[in-house]
Amino acid sequence: MQSLIKAFYIAKKDARVYYFKAPNFTYGLLMPVSLFIAFSISGQISSSLIVSGLTSLVILFGTTSIEAVAVVLEKQTGTFERLLVAPVSFFTILFGKALAGLFFGLVLAAAVLVPLTVISGTVVANPVLVFIAITFSSLTFSALGVLISAYAKWVPEAQMLSNFLRFPMAFLSGTFLPLELLPAQLGIIARFLPLTYSVEALRISINDSAPTTTYLMDILILALFSFILLVSGSKVLQRRLE
Amino acid sequence: MNAIVKAKGLTKQYGHILAVDHLNLEVFEGEIFGLLGPNGAGKTTTIRMLIGQTKPTSGEALIAGYDIIHDPIKAKESVGVVPEVSNVYDEMSAWDNLVFAAELYGVPRIERGRRAAELLRLFGLYERRDDKVGNFSKGMKRRLTIAAALIHKPSIVFLDEPTTGLDVQSSRVIRALLKQLNESGVTIFLTTHYIEEADQLCQRIAIINQGKIVALDSPEKLKAKAEEQHVVEVSFSPSKNVEHQLKDLKYVSGVSQVGDKLRLYVEDASEVVPMLIDFCRENNLKIVSFNTLKPSLEDAFVKITGLSPEVLAIEKEHAKKGESLG
Repeated sequence: MQSLIKAFYIAKKDARVYYFKAPNFTYGLLMPVSLFIAFSISGQISSSLIVSGLTSLVILFGTTSIEAVAVVLEKQTGTFERLLVAPVSFFTILFGKALAGLFFGLVLAAAVLVPLTVISGTVVANPVLVFIAITFSSLTFSALGVLISAYAKWVPEAQMLSNFLRFPMAFLSGTFLPLELLPAQLGIIARFLPLTYSVEALRISINDSAPTTTYLMDILILALFSFILLVSGSKVLQRRLE
Repeated sequence: MNAIVKAKGLTKQYGHILAVDHLNLEVFEGEIFGLLGPNGAGKTTTIRMLIGQTKPTSGEALIAGYDIIHDPIKAKESVGVVPEVSNVYDEMSAWDNLVFAAELYGVPRIERGRRAAELLRLFGLYERRDDKVGNFSKGMKRRLTIAAALIHKPSIVFLDEPTTGLDVQSSRVIRALLKQLNESGVTIFLTTHYIEEADQLCQRIAIINQGKIVALDSPEKLKAKAEEQHVVEVSFSPSKNVEHQLKDLKYVSGVSQVGDKLRLYVEDASEVVPMLIDFCRENNLKIVSFNTLKPSLEDAFVKITGLSPEVLAIEKEHAKKGESLG
């Protein structure tokens, strides 16, 4: 319990210090929105796919961007040391960082989802399921951001590394067009990408009022991704800080 | 006396480099303990192992009775850490920095504000408590970093080069605060480049060289060990760069420049006097001042580490600028 409280304090501090840094808005909000508009403007995309795709994309870009700032900048300025010498486990520190990303993801998702549903006239079938899907998506992508940031020395390097993953994921995860329309081999690759499950879970929760088996599986897989990514990030960062 | 720090066989190896080599150390409750050594001697690595920031390759360390490797959270609860570079959050106010430190160390909510105010007053920062730390001077950031390390009332504070890169006034303030802190019962473990600082502050000093402790004693006893080496301080008119010529003289083992004076490390001062008179005659120089000095802690340090006075002078110069030679 003490660890969870301390993780929350770290998240609160990160929100205060890093949320309003410029890269979070350029990489986190403007880039995915522009990307989405550019690729969807001429296509025949259903409104639920637009809502789920763009929301997931914004969460992915937003949370990985905040982690790039919150982890790498702390390493750079030496403030990460302050956390390391405190009576807190390494995993708790990174969980706190991921929590900050999670909250940021929730804020960004709400900023995109609400106007999108109003404009497109989409009726959300089950807001609770949508909230759960956004929460697990945010946690997964934050954990991904932590892992990427563990390898980077500078913020631009972290952003560049993130883009290596973010762009292919954006095109292969059913964001711009349904997975069924992808060639078979790409469809298999898509199943290894967390964004696929985020888009799918969001689409289901927008359309269905009760959780389907696929939705529950998506949430479970996202939870699994979060755990694996966070543990890997913790191991990599610990090794690199030695 | 109870040992608050007990290190046994502490070793750290980075690839082929042995940074710390089977270090044994005890620091007693209530003392100011200094770890001195040339650059790259293993001071910072030792501190990093003792505060649980890096795992030793072998050996063990107990901090306040807790094993830093197997029980790091408990051990860290008793420790305050001030790293070489001040690491407070520039984007937050002084007050918020201290409150965050209190939250991290589990200080009860009711005590956080009271403790933060107390420390800000003690460190002369209370009037600036709501200002963003990014606007603070180097000395103010240093004081705030020390204050943050004290928020949970630790039994021992580790300070890595506490006054490096600070102006004289700020250094004095910090030294006075450290003394005050120690008088209130806090054990202090510090590393420093400034030998005079260690001499003024520390009750015991360990000299580390190439990862090994080569001497451990009180400053006075360390100085006594250097007494077989004599130090002669001389200044000439006109002042010329004669350092290299003096170094070649018989009985002179080293020369360093101290202000407008030259410090000669000699085996026997009486042998050097006639030689210096001849030297002046040959070089058209007059002796302005001549003194034989009691060995300082710096002389003991030079003797024990085998570091030449010239290299030490360069190190001190870099330390003043807040640079590290690695």
